[in-house]
Amino acid sequence: MNYSFDFASVTNNLGPLVKGLVVTLQLTAAANLMGLTLGFVLALLIMSRCSVIRLPAMLFVEFFRCTPAIVQIVWFFYCVPMLFNVFLGSMTMGILALGFNLTAFNAEAYRAAIQNVPREQLDAGIALGLNPFQRVLYIILPTAFRASIPVLLTNGIVIFQQSALVAIVAVQDLMYQGKTLATETYRPIETFTIIALVYFAVSFPVTQIVGYLERRRQLLMS
Amino acid sequence: MTLPMMTPLVKVDGLHKSYGPLIPVLKGLDIEMKPGERLVVIGPRGGGKSTLLRVMMGLEKIDSGSITFGGKPYISSDGYDRKTLIDNNVRRSIGMVFQHYTLFPHLNVLQNLILAPCKVRGDKKADATERARALLKRFGLDAKANAYPAQLSGGQKQRVAIARALMLDPKLMLFDEVTSALDPELVGEVEQVILQLAKQDMPMMIVTHDMWFAKNIASRVIFCAGGVVVEDGPPEQVLGSPKEERTKDFIDRVFHIRQ
Repeated sequence: MNYSFDFASVTNNLGPLVKGLVVTLQLTAAANLMGLTLGFVLALLIMSRCSVIRLPAMLFVEFFRCTPAIVQIVWFFYCVPMLFNVFLGSMTMGILALGFNLTAFNAEAYRAAIQNVPREQLDAGIALGLNPFQRVLYIILPTAFRASIPVLLTNGIVIFQQSALVAIVAVQDLMYQGKTLATETYRPIETFTIIALVYFAVSFPVTQIVGYLERRRQLLMS
Repeated sequence: MTLPMMTPLVKVDGLHKSYGPLIPVLKGLDIEMKPGERLVVIGPRGGGKSTLLRVMMGLEKIDSGSITFGGKPYISSDGYDRKTLIDNNVRRSIGMVFQHYTLFPHLNVLQNLILAPCKVRGDKKADATERARALLKRFGLDAKANAYPAQLSGGQKQRVAIARALMLDPKLMLFDEVTSALDPELVGEVEQVILQLAKQDMPMMIVTHDMWFAKNIASRVIFCAGGVVVEDGPPEQVLGSPKEERTKDFIDRVFHIRQ
């Protein structure tokens, strides 16, 4: 292979890439805000004893878990405006698609953590005279929230990576700017290598933090 | 204890309980416990000992029967819709320590102790903290007040759990195999704490497999098997020379004495 690398074509055009990264980070932050809050509400609905509440919530989760994210994004982008007659900017649509996806996955993380609070902890709460509301507030939620942090972080960083998919519906994120730059400079190898490294540089520290938190948690549980 | 001597502290009447329709655990249990008594319940696994304590704490539903506490109705069953009625005010005067350490892992020792007094009884935080520190000191745990449960040994955790139950000034303490999950070398320090409570005439109901401990602490021993009380008497009788064949069999096996 006698390809001569020329990273200057990328480094001379960092402006759009930085702009793209900012958009990607905005998408990630907004989707995570949705996912962390709505996910918790959805988890409560999934655990409802009333099937009229529980079943639609479960269907919502299963829809997002059992279809590819790219299909969800495309479906959102083309079908929602036609079906419901709402026209929102591409950025808003991107946030909503990613946010609902993350909501579904985080709901499962919250649910698992809440249901994994050991039965003995609740027995102790009853023995100490705490009422059901106090048991939820002082025992279940603090324990469950701590237990769910590694999964929530992992889901959050997965959404950061999945956000690259919204480039296909013209959201001007890092991936979109990269594609444009690669086309303009005829330097796809250099451009996409840099793009990959940027995604890696953001994700890697987070996965390391998750690993650390899980090791620490295992120590605390033993 | 201001109760007249003749009123039993606990009176269990015809207690029936099954897990599901097919697994009966308690088949008509009758127990009377006088104030100041330390009742040790022994027997084979599955004989209903732990279930009895869990019912006493209000953690399990019952099928039929009733329990009174200090002469007042505490737990009863409504025969028609199989509901278990529990008087929460009475329940608050009973404390329980479990086999598996049930300290709240996200709270430190002091916070574990003051959670219930502050939230359930509305004690002032400063008062509760002061009482908690005094209790910890008595149990030799004053250095651990700010430690988290994960930083404690099994024996320390169980002692904290006992202190936590005592914070609510219980009139009866239930100990459900509190040393079974411990390293053998840590059993002593927990039993010492319970013996210390016994000296102060704390009424208690103890489920244990440790016959040495049973002998040392019991004022009365009950042998429970197959969901009924097989033998009930002073420790010298039940542990030393049991009258019932079934009890004798169990005691022989536990002490590995074959005659």
